[in-house]
Amino acid sequence: MPETPGGFGSFVPGDPRTREPWHVNQQTILRAGILGAIAIALFVTLIVRLWALQIISGNEYLRIAQNNQVRTVRLQAPRGSIVDRNNVALVTNRLTHEVRVWYAELPGKGDRPTRHAVLKKLAGVLDVRPRRLYREVDARKVDPLNPLVVKADVNHWQSDYILERSDRFPGVEVASHYVRDYPRGWLAAQTLGYVGSATEQEIKNNPSIKPGDLVGQSGVEAAFDDYLRGTPGVAAQGIDSQGRPRSELVANPEPQPGDTVQLTIDSDLQSVAQKALKDGIQIAKNSCASCWNANGGAIVALDPNDGSVLALASYPSYSPAVYAGHVTNRKLARWGLTATSGLADNYPGLNRATMGLYPPGSTFKPVTAIAAIQSGVLDPEANLHCTGKLIDHGHTFNNWDPNANSWINLPTALALSCDTYFYQLGQKIWGLPKGYGAPIQKWAKIFGLGQHSGIEIGDYAGIVPTPKWQRHHYRAPFGRAEDRTWKPGDSINLSIGQKDLQVTPLQMARLYGGIATGKLVTPHLLASVQRDKRTIKLGISKAPEAIAPGSDFSQKLNIIRQGLTMATHDPIGTSSAVFGSFPIPIAGKTGTAEKYSNRDQRNFNQAWWCGYGPTDKPELVVCAVIENGGHGGTAAAPAALEVFRQYFHINHSTYTLPTQTD
Amino acid sequence: MLETARPLGTPLAKTRELPLAIVLRQVDWLLVIGIAALVGYGLWAVAGVTGHEVPGQPHYYLAKQELYTGVGAVMFLLAAAFHPDLYRRYWRALYVVAILTLLLVPLLGVAKRGSRRWLQIGSFQFQPSEFAKVLVVLALAGFLAERGRALRDRSTVIGVLILVAIPTALVFMQPDFGTALVYAAVTASVLLIAGTRWLHLGTLVAATLIGAALLVWILPALGVQVLRPYQTQRLTGFIHPSFDPNHATYNVAQSKVALGAGGLHGRGTIGSTQTVLGFLPENHTDFIFAAIGEEHGFVGTSILLALYLFVVWRGLRALAGAGDGYGAVVIGGIVATMVFQVFVNVGMTMGIAPITGIPLPLVSVGGSSLIANLAALGVLIGVQMRGEGARGRLK
Repeated sequence: MPETPGGFGSFVPGDPRTREPWHVNQQTILRAGILGAIAIALFVTLIVRLWALQIISGNEYLRIAQNNQVRTVRLQAPRGSIVDRNNVALVTNRLTHEVRVWYAELPGKGDRPTRHAVLKKLAGVLDVRPRRLYREVDARKVDPLNPLVVKADVNHWQSDYILERSDRFPGVEVASHYVRDYPRGWLAAQTLGYVGSATEQEIKNNPSIKPGDLVGQSGVEAAFDDYLRGTPGVAAQGIDSQGRPRSELVANPEPQPGDTVQLTIDSDLQSVAQKALKDGIQIAKNSCASCWNANGGAIVALDPNDGSVLALASYPSYSPAVYAGHVTNRKLARWGLTATSGLADNYPGLNRATMGLYPPGSTFKPVTAIAAIQSGVLDPEANLHCTGKLIDHGHTFNNWDPNANSWINLPTALALSCDTYFYQLGQKIWGLPKGYGAPIQKWAKIFGLGQHSGIEIGDYAGIVPTPKWQRHHYRAPFGRAEDRTWKPGDSINLSIGQKDLQVTPLQMARLYGGIATGKLVTPHLLASVQRDKRTIKLGISKAPEAIAPGSDFSQKLNIIRQGLTMATHDPIGTSSAVFGSFPIPIAGKTGTAEKYSNRDQRNFNQAWWCGYGPTDKPELVVCAVIENGGHGGTAAAPAALEVFRQYFHINHSTYTLPTQTD
Repeated sequence: MLETARPLGTPLAKTRELPLAIVLRQVDWLLVIGIAALVGYGLWAVAGVTGHEVPGQPHYYLAKQELYTGVGAVMFLLAAAFHPDLYRRYWRALYVVAILTLLLVPLLGVAKRGSRRWLQIGSFQFQPSEFAKVLVVLALAGFLAERGRALRDRSTVIGVLILVAIPTALVFMQPDFGTALVYAAVTASVLLIAGTRWLHLGTLVAATLIGAALLVWILPALGVQVLRPYQTQRLTGFIHPSFDPNHATYNVAQSKVALGAGGLHGRGTIGSTQTVLGFLPENHTDFIFAAIGEEHGFVGTSILLALYLFVVWRGLRALAGAGDGYGAVVIGGIVATMVFQVFVNVGMTMGIAPITGIPLPLVSVGGSSLIANLAALGVLIGVQMRGEGARGRLK
């Protein structure tokens, strides 16, 4: 059937005039020429533009291309080491590998291997539960710019496995960095402190600190951060468009490692102090019926001649390694290092040596004595009646020994720690005319109480209650009428270091150093800063300040010293049982301070012992306090003795068991 | 005069085919060499660009592209072997095939990156819109041939517009704006060669410009969104390259850097960081020209453009020597398709044309595009070797 245009099957009508042939004519050629002209115009446009791009601007684009594939990376500087006075390493660095997952770079839909396969494999290599990993990765969907740390501190074989098969682990990264390492374990945990990622405030305050930098957050790490931190380097690294590294890092400049900080701490003495503290707490628990909850304490060992701190022990403690590497709240809570978990574990993060506030109890008596002598109400040679109790304005003040009944002078009173003797001094001082001020408080402050000691890692100032302080701050215990006037009873309580007086163990060590030498030192931890084994800076050795001028005063101090020596060596002394047979003459004072426990709604005795030795030429001051530890002679004095024993290298055979005294 | 006087619409049996030996001697071998050179250049470029694309398999894309070239060569020969009268007579069938395959896409198609353009046949994904380009050219030419004397009528122009509107609408919905633009270019070139009145052509061009303005600026301003926002941004991005809130022109920025960094001689297949490190997106498909520019420099890109221009020149020469108006229109449509696609693709990599996703003919990795383009050029050769010009040379 001849096909008819416009006929059957035509969905577009044909034209009846098409029976005639359709020739290529001149018009067609012209139009082809127009098409050719358009083509040429377009190609010329392309070539011109191409010339402009590739030839004229070529160098400019080449530079952009070269910058395109380079990322500058901040290179972490290895943090400086911390060593003790004998250059024994306390804190060093360790290179660790951390496996991270970048959510955005994980395989997407339809990719091979699938995301599930990658994560499953990764979980197998790292020995983590796959379910948990999927959940954590899913949770990271909203935050694709920060990697998920799957596991910190992985083995070498784990990191090598992943690195060697990086094409099978898209989105998985192995990051290496330095973390703090603690070769001596738990040694001086609170004093050394810890490092953490820079806080917003730190970044704002110091332009050289950038987000992600590790900055000392507490203790020595924070106090000497400027030395320890070092200078980060900058490195260029070739990357692809996904940001994945494609070349080795080329550092320029190299990171400058931090300086080594040498501390005055003696690691062996520190170690002994920590053990002695722990043992002392155990002794207290075993020997004292009400000391079942002895659960904390501190020991300070100080050179009274220059203020070098040899040991700062605080119990309970923790392993500082918990802060190394990837820190999680859960990990911290297990160690009692978060705000909520601290209470149950009695705040292991608190450095009780510098920040524990306790009433000093009888260890404060030398200050009362000096204040009484200096204000003329006490003749140190004269005898006062030591009785079982003292009644003042209808209030009864008990002696620790209710059967005491003798006339004694000051050294004996210190040796016996006769409370009623010092009550009388308190009474007399209270009775002084207005112009005399508040002598006990004045001398407490002269001896450094109520103020910061100056130690680099920071401490608490404590409280020395004055009539003025009482007017402004006093809060009566619950259920009692609030009366803010300073009464005779307040002076009497203060005379034996009770009630509102609050001191730190470090302040007391400093105070006893002052008694031992007549000069008040500034406690410090920094011995030197070293770079490349050379000392570039020495620690602050502020010259000790004389407490009071004149040989007259030092004679009066001698009387105190005599009392403190009697306390440790005279048969009547409160800690003679502990120190009597020690080959080096030690002078010191026990203390048993009542402190109200909010938790248990009752008073507990804080066990104290502070003293120094050798008596003729003091080299070491030790102050020990055991929370809720009962009598000072029972728990605190033996702990202090252990520190002296280590310091003077006296072996263990002379140790005698203490008896209960105050 | 043997065939030129043959009336249109004569039955197939009356179509006299010349002996094969004579036909082969009439082939424009320069055109064939030009096409082969383009395909060869494309394979060489793909080898350089994709050598690092799949780790451990430097020839992954090259092997694929070689396979497509083989299929394309067969299609080229087949398309050339059929007498153009076949295409002319059965233009309705060709048109229906084009529409049906395009209709299948939204029903059975496979979506990639937000566009549904592919049909899955076994493990091979095939893109009907690529084949529809040449089928539309043949259909329009066939329609015009049937209206041979009424070419200057307005009704013919309207018929062409209606015919082309259906496939255009179908690819526009995929969405494949680039291919829709190609159909528009095909329409314009076919009408131009067929001898439509200048008044009609001018009206169409003006209407197209107004329509584009409506689509991109005026309707969105009135609250009617025909184009998706990303499409508008890609279309207008090359006019305001600094206004790029959604990084629509990131690709173009990286592409320009790649081209510029190539300089005169290029950075080689290893040193071309833009391409090798993946900064240049789609570096073996839509943006392969930029990759070639980075690896082989101005020398490489200008040789490639020269090869295209050479093929265009030989193609237009064949147009002038075509046996009849129908052949001329077919060649004109095929040549214009190629010129338009090259310009839009290359212009896109340099930031002077909108981002449309049109591949670079014969060079971009992709089976459908390569095979369809080779088939189109086969049709062109088929017309050429039977045309007046060829026989004229024979005499």
